[in-house]
Amino acid sequence: MLQSETRTKNPVQAYRLKKAIRGIVIGYFFYSLVIGLGFAILYPLIKLIPFVFNNLEDLGNPDVIWVPIELSVDSFRAAMRLVFGNGLPLLQSVAYGAAIALIQIFMSAIAGYSLGRIGFWGRNAVMGLVILSFVVPPQSLLISQYLSFKNFDVLGIASALGGGPIDLINQPYTLYAIALLGFGVKQSMFVFIFRQFFKGMPAELEEAAYIDGCGFYRTFFKIGLPNALPAIMTVGILAFVWNYGDTYYTGYFHPDGPYLSIKLATTFAPANVNNILYAVRTWYDVPGATTFAFDAVKQAAALIFLLPLLILYFFAQRRIVENLEQSGIVG
Amino acid sequence: MPGAAEKIRKRSRLSYQTMQKIHGIVFVLPWLIGFGLFFVTPLASTIKYAFHEVGVAETGGMALRYVGLDNFTNLFNVEVSSQSQPFLRVFSDENVNIFINTPVIVVFSLFCAILVNVKFKGQGLARVVFFLPIVLGLKVVVDLIMVSTGGDVADAAVDSTIDNEMIFDFLREYTFLPRDITMFISDLATNIFLLLSQTGVQTLIFLAGLQSINPSLYEVAKIEGANSYEIFWKITLPLVGNISLFALIYTFVDMFLKSPISTEIYYFAFNKNNIGAGSALSVVYLVNVLADLLLLMLIMNRVVKLSHAAK
Repeated sequence: MLQSETRTKNPVQAYRLKKAIRGIVIGYFFYSLVIGLGFAILYPLIKLIPFVFNNLEDLGNPDVIWVPIELSVDSFRAAMRLVFGNGLPLLQSVAYGAAIALIQIFMSAIAGYSLGRIGFWGRNAVMGLVILSFVVPPQSLLISQYLSFKNFDVLGIASALGGGPIDLINQPYTLYAIALLGFGVKQSMFVFIFRQFFKGMPAELEEAAYIDGCGFYRTFFKIGLPNALPAIMTVGILAFVWNYGDTYYTGYFHPDGPYLSIKLATTFAPANVNNILYAVRTWYDVPGATTFAFDAVKQAAALIFLLPLLILYFFAQRRIVENLEQSGIVG
Repeated sequence: MPGAAEKIRKRSRLSYQTMQKIHGIVFVLPWLIGFGLFFVTPLASTIKYAFHEVGVAETGGMALRYVGLDNFTNLFNVEVSSQSQPFLRVFSDENVNIFINTPVIVVFSLFCAILVNVKFKGQGLARVVFFLPIVLGLKVVVDLIMVSTGGDVADAAVDSTIDNEMIFDFLREYTFLPRDITMFISDLATNIFLLLSQTGVQTLIFLAGLQSINPSLYEVAKIEGANSYEIFWKITLPLVGNISLFALIYTFVDMFLKSPISTEIYYFAFNKNNIGAGSALSVVYLVNVLADLLLLMLIMNRVVKLSHAAK
């Protein structure tokens, strides 16, 4: 009796043991993979931290790599002084990114709604054009776009009104106009995302709204748009991040504008290394500063630049990831 | 008489469906206008400029002189890039670079998406980190953070590369892989930070695809006795097939967007004042992108067909 009981017990125990060990081994590999990949993603940020807080004179000293001898925020102060001033440019850039993102969301949403919901004539052809404009890099159209903006005169309308062609380059409203007509940063992709979302949305709510007497536009604003929150979140985040960090549209069409991304790119261009080093040496009395000091200032500036993005990202990412499968990315 | 009134009413009031269609067109109209203004017109004039010599006319406008294919032949025979490289070299480098990196980035992001799709403790944190490349992969951020101008003194600590000699030696000693493949693998390890910084959006795309897979499929597979390996190859991979095409195209376009050719175009047109050659460069670039995409589609089509045939 006893004999048989141990016999039946043993295999069960062995099975349990085996399962537990397997769980531990797989868990070990899994966590090391996740942590390793996460570390590889974060590494460029991690290695910045000691670097930007280091004393400017100690940079480049092979004895001081991970732990600064003397903490200092000189690189941040220099970055503030060089690029950010009193913080107004940061606010302006955030406002710009948010405004363009809003325009892009709205314009892409209406185009996507129409493409996903309404079977108008030539819908598939328009969809093909959207994909085509997504695939063609805007850079290949840069020259003639620039030239046509320089002397903007569609069908001679401007000339007919008197005053001749308008110079749209370096005008603050040019970028808004581009976004309004659906050709901002990667906007074709946003149209595509909205189209996929609205295509997959159940039609009952809208039908009910129509039967209750809502017109087309009212139905869209009361039913379509509020229900598209997952897609709006995804597109909104991407649009804000890309517009805030955009150097292409802002750099070529409004180079004198108050956009941080361009300001950073031009201030820390390789041609400026010596000027900045000179400034840093005299401001903070560090005659021994090497080009590493330039890097430190540059990277401190990058960290400040990233700050709004990181804050927004940490608040919004949960919302995005929660209902990702209905965000319209999948067909 | 009532019949005629009905007719008139029908004619003056469009049917519900027609109205819907008209409203639909109103909604895409802004985009269509933009398409005409910012896509068709520039495209047409780029192609036009590419076959002309563009100068300033005496009256102040543009003077075009037809020169045939001269701009193109000059571009490849005479002109050099701002880095003094012939353009054939620039293009071939760029293409090789993109064709090698695109699959690697896509596979990496699929891998990341599968990892964060698993339920485990700390999943939320892992997702925060794995989507961070959306922010860190911005061109301006990569330029500022990843490229350092300092000397070699503290390169090991400052540069974003890792020491790959160990991997290289290990692979050479203990495997029979040819030298080129070994080099490729160790190069990948060197550039891993740069590669990973490009994966954010693709991970998002793949995670969306993974989450849309019906969980009952996995249940059925488990009941039928499939192991995780079989589940991955028979369920997960075929079902993210479509979305991986999207991810591939996205990566591809993104890589071309960030390629240095765009600065060359600007350099030609406005620093060298050679709009004709710049436009020729744009056209070559455009044709290059489209041809590469076509090739990609053909390959993907082939792969999908093969995998269907294998079933």
